[in-house]
Amino acid sequence: MMNPIAGTKTISPVAGRPNAGRYIPYVVAAVVVLSAPVWAGAYLVSVLTIVGFHAVLALGLVLLTGLAGQVSLGQAMFFGMGAYLSALLTVRAGLPAWPCILVAAVITGVGAALIGFAVLRLRGIIVAGVTLTVNLIFYYLVMSMGQVTGGATGLTGIPRLPYPRGMPYSVFIFAFVWIGVVVLLVFSLNVARSRSGRALRVLNILAGGGEDTAQVLGINTMKYKVSAFVVAAIFASIGGSVYAHYTGVIEPGSFHVQLSVLVAIMVIVGGVATPWGAIVGATLMIGITEVLRAVAPIVLGGPTGAYELVAYGAILVATLLFLPQGLCSLPERVRRRRRADDGH
Amino acid sequence: MTAIDVRSGRLPVGGAQQVPLLDIRGLSAAYGELLVLKDVDLRVNTGELICIIGPNGAGKTTLLKLVNGLLKPSGGEIWFQGERIDGRPAYKVARCGITQMFQDIQLCPTLSVVENVMTGCHVWTRSGFLATGFQSRGARVEESVIRAVAVEQLNSLGLAGRASAWPRQLSWGEQKLVGLARALVARPSLVLLDEPYGGLVQDEIDRLSCLLRELTVSGMTVLMVEHLTDVVMDVASRVVVLHYGEKIAEGLPQEIRRDERVVASYLGE
Amino acid sequence: MEASTVLQSLISGLTLGCIYAALGLGLYVVYGVTRVLNFAQGEFVMLGGMITVSLCAWGVPLFPSIFLAVFVVSVTGAILYRFIIHPARNASGSVLAFLTVGFAFAVEGLTLLVWGWEYRSLTNFLGSSSIHLWGATIFGQAPWVVGMTILMVAGLYYFFGHTMLGRALRACADEPLGARTVGISPERMGLLAFVIAAALGAVAGATITPLTMTAYNVGIPLTIKGLLAAFVGGMHRAEGVIVGGLLLGLTEALSAGLMPGGYHDAIALTILLIVFLVRPRGLLPAHANIE
Repeated sequence: MMNPIAGTKTISPVAGRPNAGRYIPYVVAAVVVLSAPVWAGAYLVSVLTIVGFHAVLALGLVLLTGLAGQVSLGQAMFFGMGAYLSALLTVRAGLPAWPCILVAAVITGVGAALIGFAVLRLRGIIVAGVTLTVNLIFYYLVMSMGQVTGGATGLTGIPRLPYPRGMPYSVFIFAFVWIGVVVLLVFSLNVARSRSGRALRVLNILAGGGEDTAQVLGINTMKYKVSAFVVAAIFASIGGSVYAHYTGVIEPGSFHVQLSVLVAIMVIVGGVATPWGAIVGATLMIGITEVLRAVAPIVLGGPTGAYELVAYGAILVATLLFLPQGLCSLPERVRRRRRADDGH
Repeated sequence: MTAIDVRSGRLPVGGAQQVPLLDIRGLSAAYGELLVLKDVDLRVNTGELICIIGPNGAGKTTLLKLVNGLLKPSGGEIWFQGERIDGRPAYKVARCGITQMFQDIQLCPTLSVVENVMTGCHVWTRSGFLATGFQSRGARVEESVIRAVAVEQLNSLGLAGRASAWPRQLSWGEQKLVGLARALVARPSLVLLDEPYGGLVQDEIDRLSCLLRELTVSGMTVLMVEHLTDVVMDVASRVVVLHYGEKIAEGLPQEIRRDERVVASYLGE
Repeated sequence: MEASTVLQSLISGLTLGCIYAALGLGLYVVYGVTRVLNFAQGEFVMLGGMITVSLCAWGVPLFPSIFLAVFVVSVTGAILYRFIIHPARNASGSVLAFLTVGFAFAVEGLTLLVWGWEYRSLTNFLGSSSIHLWGATIFGQAPWVVGMTILMVAGLYYFFGHTMLGRALRACADEPLGARTVGISPERMGLLAFVIAAALGAVAGATITPLTMTAYNVGIPLTIKGLLAAFVGGMHRAEGVIVGGLLLGLTEALSAGLMPGGYHDAIALTILLIVFLVRPRGLLPAHANIE
């Protein structure tokens, strides 16, 4: 999965401010999305909010897999940790919401660091298997600890976050989530074209790098891999906490291995090498899910959930077979083909 | 790190140092049961260009890996600038001022040429995830310094126009120069070169020899492993010969050329 | 704790262990020949059970049902290889593994479409629902599970050790280029490996269903457990896979029997994960030639 990150190709030997004009389409897109509550119905706003949550998960995974080359299938677990920790602290301990989200993020980060140090010594696809196993353990634990977590039925009555009067709660969450997505997107893009991003790419075996090379360049590979893992986990945790306060009800089934795999599919379909791939992938997969959920059982009959599963599987297979770099690599491929046609 | 000056091109004499820059004492290395390096002694002084030669399997690359920390010795000591460094992880050894250019270069394919060179600056820079993610002032300043240093290094090696190219678009010789640039921007005291002449055509060979001479004249120390013995005799201030993991000869290039044991070891393989 | 509880736990652990060992063997065959981690192995098991249940429900006798189910699932395995794995054979291990994940999802979805949400079950093969042994009660299906696993292991030993085809498969795993020069086609061998793994999975699935029931979503947790067990024991040897499977089964059953609460799944997986992290190469040492 070798693809240069979008944006790094505009470097020139002359230091200077990059052309500000190229930001315009992104700003337009951001304005369109953020203004959705104005022109879109409540249903679309809620769908976009869900897209936003998944985008946050996917952004963390891009940092971890796209840059650092660690295939992690554990984002759902950290999402769940953030959700349950924040929910428990607010519901059982009665603490205010915002500090709980922060505390949950810290605890998740520490947990991620411990898991990361234990697991990231391994290389290759086995990391995916191990993180999947840890995710499954988390699911079983949550199911078993009925006293604390409510078991299979989950937790209810999670309080809302404090929000300004004069706007519906759903709009507040929508804005919060998408501003978060933009912040994390910019953060990821900045890291990608910086010293840390270069260090991660040097040690990324999936993209042709090597751990020995990185070490000889003075890069403490373990520290960097674990840092990327922790950053992805904290993204997921904060997302999970906000999700809990958004829906008011959480249950273990939402944090099962299926979600980890779905996030990975989003990243693969969107393009693992660039943070934009996370946004594209999340939008596409949630869009397809909503269409199938609404339309297919009516038109085709059958239980809900079935068509989505088939779609996820089919799209993943199709992407890996025909467009393994993901959708975000299309502009580059088109450009290259056009250049080839021009006889360069 | 300023651009390399062109000086007279004469090799410095192995100096009258009190403390050698790199001091290898009784170094041994084993892969499981197999003893790859046996009790090797080597002293490298500042400004020298030491070349290690020997047939394949003699342990030359292993020696480099022991110095840069990728391997741990099974016996012996390595001292660098008066400190003991054997057993330290490779990234800590790099921070002491030792860098390497690999036999297969190992440039990162997803980074442009200049970005590859910029990774060499990692040892003396500090911005972490938070600083770069939120683009703190310190991070931005550091980034422009890194870029300027990398660009200047590329220019001084004659690769001015190739900064934004991708490694796969460069010829093998050019890629080697990029690898060298990456090693040099780290401001090292000791540069390790693993078969730097491999795969080069004649005028690239001459150019590299010239570059290496300039490096040592400006105070850099080079420890090189090489296969092409003719070239080596031109640039080295001292030659060390390894054979089946043991040092069998050491001295000036002319002496080594005439040494019987060396001739025998090469003819014997 | 009474002796009979421990005995019961040991026996159910053995039975469970055989299930995981059977899963692991299917994973081993595919991994050994093609180096692919087949995340769809659990789906083969699930399908084997589901199809057998449906056929029996339509009145087909038990053993022909199983036979048909194995046939259908083997075809599924062939489809997975021919249309998904084979086109991507030059891709990295991660890509290939994710392809099997996609296939597993699609199979799960289709199963849900055809069979719905409910758990399905089969009656025990011999009809009796439990056996009493030394004060312990064990499920009537248990001897069938153990027997099936023993047969599988024996069959694989014979196949890989003493038949031309089996040896060809082994050659492919050890030395693909060399195998090709002798006229063995890695593509055919890959197809065979997937078909064998699917068949093994289907047999296991049909045998397990009277014990554990089956539903559309049992596949993925089974695969994860099977992979963990296999790697803990050592994926490079069939013995390793079996040992790992038995270890997981025993750990699960013993923690279920000896500790209150429903934590046995989490505990067993955690213990095995820690064992794996301590010894990533597997518990059993490698030897010069496999098996």
